[in-house]
Amino acid sequence: MFKKFEAKESIVGTNQIKNSVQRSIRTKLIDTYPNIEEYINDILPKKVNLKVVKCQDHIELISTDDEILFFKKRDGPFYPTLRLLHMYPNMLPKVQVDKGAIKFVLSGAHIMCPGLTSPGADLPEECLPTDTPVSVHAEGKINALAIGHMKMSSDDIKSINKGVGIDNVHYLNDGLWRIDL
Amino acid sequence: MTSSNFPLKVDYCGVCSLPPEYCEHGPLFDKCKEWMEENLPDEYARLILNKTQEELEAMSLNNSKKKQTRGGKAMKNITKKQEVQKQVVVGRSMRARKKYVTLVRGLKTCDMNLKKCSKAFGQKFACGSSVTGDDEITVQGDVVDDMMDFIVEELGIDDDLVVDGGDIKD
Repeated sequence: MFKKFEAKESIVGTNQIKNSVQRSIRTKLIDTYPNIEEYINDILPKKVNLKVVKCQDHIELISTDDEILFFKKRDGPFYPTLRLLHMYPNMLPKVQVDKGAIKFVLSGAHIMCPGLTSPGADLPEECLPTDTPVSVHAEGKINALAIGHMKMSSDDIKSINKGVGIDNVHYLNDGLWRIDL
Repeated sequence: MTSSNFPLKVDYCGVCSLPPEYCEHGPLFDKCKEWMEENLPDEYARLILNKTQEELEAMSLNNSKKKQTRGGKAMKNITKKQEVQKQVVVGRSMRARKKYVTLVRGLKTCDMNLKKCSKAFGQKFACGSSVTGDDEITVQGDVVDDMMDFIVEELGIDDDLVVDGGDIKD
């Protein structure tokens, strides 16, 4: 999504978010990520004015003054940015890819099923349905390296084991990572 | 990890901006290593010193002789900051016959935050100040001389870099 993304070209405009909208975003976030309810006031302090940064391709970024926190595409779910995810790693369900996949993921490839089912990789026990946002971790690393959304349910990934399993939405060092407001 | 207090603090490499454990996949691993040794000795020990020489060589993509490895050319570039010549030009431009606005161009080349500068100018000179272009601040009123002193003294930009641009025509 952010493979070609540059502050100058891709940003269309920045708007302050109204307080009422801010509240609805907040509830929506808690809905999507119940784990962060405790910390929501640290992530989105009530006093701070949020901004929405509109970008090309119907992408919207939610940011405070200096930091981008969430992004979404069209009416899709809000995804946290990787920097935020690193601070609150429990926000999203985790999947793990094997070592060999790291390189590909970091250059923006979608995540193929075999990279999720091999010995070095790890899928959570419970079934993750399609379209869940997940954080993609890597074998032997602590921090997440990408954020994706499930293209197949995790049961399907295990049984079919072919093709794209997770769409790579945002990865380390892509356009969104490097952006500077 | 689950029991720790959030938010966690994650250190990022000063060279390639990734978490240090991913530096090896960046294009500037060697530089990252130097930076890490200096700034994050703990991480450095964990990531580099505990490995054998062979492992290290396998890690460093730059050492491989193959031009292209599977998976494309790994990560490209990481936009190196182009060395732009640093220079701040302060000039004025006529507005409505006998009134002037002061234009400050080039603050970005000195890594200044334009918005903050503009605010500071407005407060200092008690007049309107706004960011008007990619690298331009317009201050209402003719404050060229004061502005040059202010930039040197308050923003800490070298005296030689600040130039009087005289009258700038748009």
